[in-house]
Amino acid sequence: MLLDFARLGPWRVALSLIALLVGAYLLLPILLIVALSFGSSQWLQFPPPGWTLRWYEDLFDDPEWIASFLTSFKIAAVVTVLSVGIGLMASFGLTRGTFRGRQALRALFLTPMILPVVVLAVALYAFFLRLHLNGTFLGFVLAHLVIALPFSIIAISNALERFDRDIETAAIVCGASPLEAKIRVTLPGIRLGLISAAIFSFLASWDEVVIAIFMASPDLQTLPVRIYGTLRQDLSPVIAAVSTLLIALTAALMAAAALLRKDDRS
Amino acid sequence: MTVTDVPMAPQSPAARRGGRGFAPVLPALALVVLVFVIPVLALLLRSVLEPAPGLQNYATFFGSTTYLKVLGNTFLVAFTVTVVTVLLGFPVAWFLAIAPSFWSRLLFAIVILSMWTNLLARTYAWMVLLQRTGVINRTLMNLGLISEPLPLINNLVGVTIGMTYIMLPFMILPLHATIRSIDPAIFQAASLCGASRFQAFTRVMLPLTASGIAAGALMVFVMSLGYFITPALLGGTANMMLAELIAQLVQSLLDWGLAGAAALVLLVITLAIYMVQLRFFGFGQARG
Amino acid sequence: MSFLEIANISKTFGNVTAVSDVSLEIARGEFVTFLGPSGSGKSTTLYMIAGFFEPTRGDVRLEGRSILSEPSNKRNIGMVFQRYTLFPHLSVAENVAFPLRVRRRPAAEIAGKVEEMLALVRLESFAGRMPAQLSGGQQQRVALARALAYNPPLLLMDEPLSALDKKLREEIQDEIRRIHRQTGVTILYVTHDQEEALSLSDRIALFNHGKIEQLGKGRELYEAPRTRFVADFIGHSNFLDCTIARSHGGFADITLPDGSALERVAVHGDARAGGRGGLMIRPDRLRLSPLRGENGPGIDVVLSDATFIGETYHFVLTTGWGASVNMRMPASLARADDVTIGTNLRLHWEASDASLFGQ
Repeated sequence: MLLDFARLGPWRVALSLIALLVGAYLLLPILLIVALSFGSSQWLQFPPPGWTLRWYEDLFDDPEWIASFLTSFKIAAVVTVLSVGIGLMASFGLTRGTFRGRQALRALFLTPMILPVVVLAVALYAFFLRLHLNGTFLGFVLAHLVIALPFSIIAISNALERFDRDIETAAIVCGASPLEAKIRVTLPGIRLGLISAAIFSFLASWDEVVIAIFMASPDLQTLPVRIYGTLRQDLSPVIAAVSTLLIALTAALMAAAALLRKDDRS
Repeated sequence: MTVTDVPMAPQSPAARRGGRGFAPVLPALALVVLVFVIPVLALLLRSVLEPAPGLQNYATFFGSTTYLKVLGNTFLVAFTVTVVTVLLGFPVAWFLAIAPSFWSRLLFAIVILSMWTNLLARTYAWMVLLQRTGVINRTLMNLGLISEPLPLINNLVGVTIGMTYIMLPFMILPLHATIRSIDPAIFQAASLCGASRFQAFTRVMLPLTASGIAAGALMVFVMSLGYFITPALLGGTANMMLAELIAQLVQSLLDWGLAGAAALVLLVITLAIYMVQLRFFGFGQARG
Repeated sequence: MSFLEIANISKTFGNVTAVSDVSLEIARGEFVTFLGPSGSGKSTTLYMIAGFFEPTRGDVRLEGRSILSEPSNKRNIGMVFQRYTLFPHLSVAENVAFPLRVRRRPAAEIAGKVEEMLALVRLESFAGRMPAQLSGGQQQRVALARALAYNPPLLLMDEPLSALDKKLREEIQDEIRRIHRQTGVTILYVTHDQEEALSLSDRIALFNHGKIEQLGKGRELYEAPRTRFVADFIGHSNFLDCTIARSHGGFADITLPDGSALERVAVHGDARAGGRGGLMIRPDRLRLSPLRGENGPGIDVVLSDATFIGETYHFVLTTGWGASVNMRMPASLARADDVTIGTNLRLHWEASDASLFGQ
């Protein structure tokens, strides 16, 4: 009755209406940005009086936007590699180890994900002041790594727990050394977990803004810092162009993830 | 019995004492201790050490109407956002669980797209929509519904609208999983027992989803408490929230002691709510 | 010198003894089954041979040489696991090739061996499939091919059929028997299913509480069980409580709770006059008649349940003192009277089919 859409009676109309409104609430702002990025109005008039690629040209002509884009990408790439590597090791320890305090350690590793990021941002800013790491590549990588690591550990630990360890044992009985068995059998077996760890780690760094705002220097700014700085001054349509590119990136990653899941089922 | 049901025999003498497999967690442990535990503890320590040892920072924080108003704003916004996301999120999660596959997949994709879209991009969209000359005000004036632009931005209204937008997926996704896990036959049974739709809803559906609603609500509430970006961009200087206050104290006033005290207040509230969640709903639902 | 020698091995986990002083010698080409309930130490013994556990005491020698110092991957032993352990990301052929690849064998040899092994388990046409596309039975056959690909002298099988349904189990049992005959490999097989053990093995080692309770051919265990546990585990025997009146030279005179006396019952184990014992009778060695009259030992019973299970009837009979007795009878022999619940009947057996286990 209540879980059968066809037999909901009058409730079906109410439910569909709310779903429609919320769907519009969630989708329209995103469509609006995309439309405005191609709109000719400097003042973000909607519907736009005409269409133009001017804001994209402005964006790609500005070396500072390009620089911050590259900075973000480099940081996120390094963070992804380290996060998956360290997360993989930690996940092996947490799921396979027999030492005491594993649960407490796991909780500690996940804490940076649930604490308000502004607290970490302020704390790291103060800490890095002493170490002269603010505004450095290393500082950004370390800070983003702490944020990304929990995602990595969750994704890889879950995959490792689902992976039947007898399969690894079987590889060893077949003659593979324990390390060879892990590399040739276990890692391919948890590859979906590794890929989602990589995607989440990349996005955690790529989208991170609060810590970056505190740590950024005029010479080293990530893309979100530049967007934030620009937004505090005016609502330039160039931001709409940047945002549209970011939305396209998100949609591409979603499509890739969906394909990956489909591929895994067949 | 299978091989892995039995604890593996300890191999080395050191292992026999304290268990095995600790070495691989060392890099992660070093990172979290150095770049998380020590800096955060250092910040909290400054709240009782600067400018002089003692609790005066906490006395200042709780003795000032300005700071108490910030705390009040924070709770008010977090509470409103939580209530609205529950009221909107529940029907949507329900719809997602039972609607014909085309519509539920489409809506699901929209929810995920919105959740994954860059936070600043989404906040930017709401700045454009809500500003004095923005799309919403212009449309309402063109329709003749209002003569003056409504003040939708730089106040708590704007913050609440923007935060609700950002938090909705975090309510919808766990609730969707909860509703999906209910066996539809339960409602056929309720119906055969003589329950009307309304009775089936209040006596069967709500109790079965209560833990999911509570878990989602706690998560949205706690995330809203510490949110920084959206309040900073959509809110006004007159109506600050706690996260902004901490940032301001550090960036503009360089008052590290008071910032540490405010951070501790935020941490204590956050951790207390997560403890409640862990205690009653387990960790699994904490992130949907 | 025997092929595989398990010499006085024990294994303790903390203060729990899983295996206690087990010794066993196995000849080349033999098929030996470790049978027993869960927790009886049969799997632990197998894992010590595979190298997953180090024995607390004792030695395992293959062709006279101790293998305990070798890690699992150097023991050159084949193993098929309880769960499907095919490598999910490799095709059937790649799974079978895996042990040869880690041994760095030349490609031509690998290709030939894979073909040979897939032919052995009759899955030649499945070479390109992925494990997820196979049924459970096919997966275990591939696992068997993978375990035999490197010509291990010894093949360990750890309840390989327990995840399969009954019909498939029987099919694969036939396959295993055929492969054993064809390859001559020595097989150590672990199971808790007595029918599986009886149908497959040359010899059975029946485990209980970490020890081998009895070792021998299946028929020996069935017909001459040395302990009550063996008699109970193999053949689901009935045990009737009784009192031992007299004991003399391997035989005893006993009294059942209703007062009826039986003379000269064969005794297993220790039976003292005046002590208590259990009279064992096999469910398939019993006969029923409407009333007393037939000679030989027997008791009066009431039919309390009758189940038709295809070729046989399964009866539950209640004795005068309330004990239950199970019996099986070919359906063709059952009369209408026999299957009416509540009928009074007389239960008979041949004197040679009953035996006494002292307590």
